[in-house]
Amino acid sequence: MTLQPGLEPGVVAEREDASRENDPQSSKKLASKSPTQIALQRLRKDKVAVVCGSILLLLIVLALAAPLITRAMGIFPEINSPGAGNLGADLDQFGYPEIGPPYYGFTWEHPLGIAPSRGVDNLANLLYGLRTSLLVATLATIISTFVGITIGLMAGFSRGWLDRFLSFVIDLFLSFPFLLGALTLAPILTSRFSTDLDALDRAQLLGLVAVLVIFGWMSLARLIRGQVLSLREREFVQSAQVIGVPTRRILFKELLPNMVAPIVVATSLSLPAYVAAEAGLSYLGIGLTGQPSLGQTILLATEYYSTYGLYLWVPVGVVAVLVLALNLLGDSVRDAFDPRTRR
Amino acid sequence: MLGFIVRRILTAILVVFLTSIFVFVLLYKGVANPAGPVCDAQGRCTAERLAAIEASMGLNDPILQQYGEFAGGVFTGRTVSFGETEYDCPAPCLGVSYGTRGLITDELVDRLPATISLAVGASIIYLVVGVTLGVLAAKKRGTATDRVLVSSSLVVSSIPYYLFCLLAYIFLVLKYPVFDETGYLPITEGVGAFFLAMLLPWLVLGLFSSSNYARFTRGQMVETLGEDYIRTASAKGVSGNKVVFGHALRAAIVPIVTIFGLDFAALLGGTIFTEQIFRIDGIGLWALDAVTRPPLDFPVVIATVLVVAVIITIANLVVDIVYGFLDPRVRIS
Repeated sequence: MTLQPGLEPGVVAEREDASRENDPQSSKKLASKSPTQIALQRLRKDKVAVVCGSILLLLIVLALAAPLITRAMGIFPEINSPGAGNLGADLDQFGYPEIGPPYYGFTWEHPLGIAPSRGVDNLANLLYGLRTSLLVATLATIISTFVGITIGLMAGFSRGWLDRFLSFVIDLFLSFPFLLGALTLAPILTSRFSTDLDALDRAQLLGLVAVLVIFGWMSLARLIRGQVLSLREREFVQSAQVIGVPTRRILFKELLPNMVAPIVVATSLSLPAYVAAEAGLSYLGIGLTGQPSLGQTILLATEYYSTYGLYLWVPVGVVAVLVLALNLLGDSVRDAFDPRTRR
Repeated sequence: MLGFIVRRILTAILVVFLTSIFVFVLLYKGVANPAGPVCDAQGRCTAERLAAIEASMGLNDPILQQYGEFAGGVFTGRTVSFGETEYDCPAPCLGVSYGTRGLITDELVDRLPATISLAVGASIIYLVVGVTLGVLAAKKRGTATDRVLVSSSLVVSSIPYYLFCLLAYIFLVLKYPVFDETGYLPITEGVGAFFLAMLLPWLVLGLFSSSNYARFTRGQMVETLGEDYIRTASAKGVSGNKVVFGHALRAAIVPIVTIFGLDFAALLGGTIFTEQIFRIDGIGLWALDAVTRPPLDFPVVIATVLVVAVIITIANLVVDIVYGFLDPRVRIS
């Protein structure tokens, strides 16, 4: 468990790997590999990671190809989509669909049926919901990683008041419940953009990303700060300072490459959290409202759990599988980068 | 120690103060038309009526003055006016609800017991179950029991909580009514009824959260069980259980108590999903309804945020102080 003094985690990992595999050829090759390459190699051997990665790849392809698939099949995610004029025609007087599974047999026209009372196609809604979900989570991950790294580097490298102030802000944001913050910010957007529906949709999407970033950057910032605190006392940083390397260069060329592993791990674990949070906020009705979203579909479908179960169980299953696969993949990535966590 | 506590209390007050200013300014300056909900609630909203209501609510004053009046009201009470109607709001005044026109303080006192009993019950379950499972897994480290416990806790905590909660509600309440009535009943209506109604929400929240505790406890215990003094204790002939619970858990419990304190505070603000799905009338559902159902109820949102901020800072404070007592090696100076 104890890290040998003076050795990088990657070097320890290399040694462990080399001793584990008694193949002389592979240990010879290992000498020229970066810790990231070793981690990727380890990840490829991890069955859970491969399975989760394949599921994710499939979901991502489905999300990216959503417009193509829906156009090819002639299904529409929204009532007012162009060419979807006759959606209400397939509903009976109680708002239940008269076509498609589970009651009227499978049809390629609506493979997952139609949403009761709204009349939109479930598959199209699902694909577009998946698209929004992944878009929001990816944007939030990229931005919050960027913010977290910047603030963490600043706090860790600056001694004195700036570090104290940034640490205070990090602790303040960490202790505040995310849901309550989202709840406070939601009405602002709705009231500002409620007159223009297109603008509202865009504002809701960006606002959701903003909320996720505002309450999501702190843990990475704190992690980076801790890493910088220990790294900046090392000889290579001190010698760079002595020979007059500019601070920005030290931060980005000397310190940052040493923190690739924790950043990749934190990022891969924050992605599922953002997917879950997006669907959760939309489920509560304070996320996305006017555009397809898995959380919103679950909220609308809850009341049909007994009369039209398919409507509810498909989005529930997709959210569960997506978040589960992302989480397990994140855990595998962590194990690959830092084998000491697997005990 | 005393100096440390005083300093922490001062920081806590600063945090609550900053949070309240932040939320107040954010809502009143951020929302396009703060008087709109009040005006709409009184029937047809004309431009003159809106202007009159804005003037009477003091919305034309500088924002800091408005905040000053709000903050002053918390300590001395004030009169809240919406257009022609005026409401007398005595000492711990957090305003008057736009929707119900009731005093926020009264409504808060009505709803807080539901949230607190939900959080307390669930946290007892997750602490007991989580620590027990964690200790068990650490004791049987490397065996099939360990692997099953760790991987199942990983899978449970990988699913979004609201799906877990929703599935439990649909299957255990609606489809197969194992628990026929869930929700919050005041304890004055019978202890048995109260426990029966809250049992499922407690179990759902508690069992879900326990998975994190199980893994955390296991990690701590594995580390502690590898220490030299544990081997010494075993070598002396201390019985297995006494070593595990008396020696190892005593040392491993400190970080667990720390995260427990913080989680409990977060739970008080974050039971929104549980309250929404089981329709428990707590402060989470109150705040959610204030935002999602018209009229948009600012005072409710501000009050919830304030109460949660106060609870969280107090929890942080208590954790810091308890830390010093639990672990004799930590002496905060």
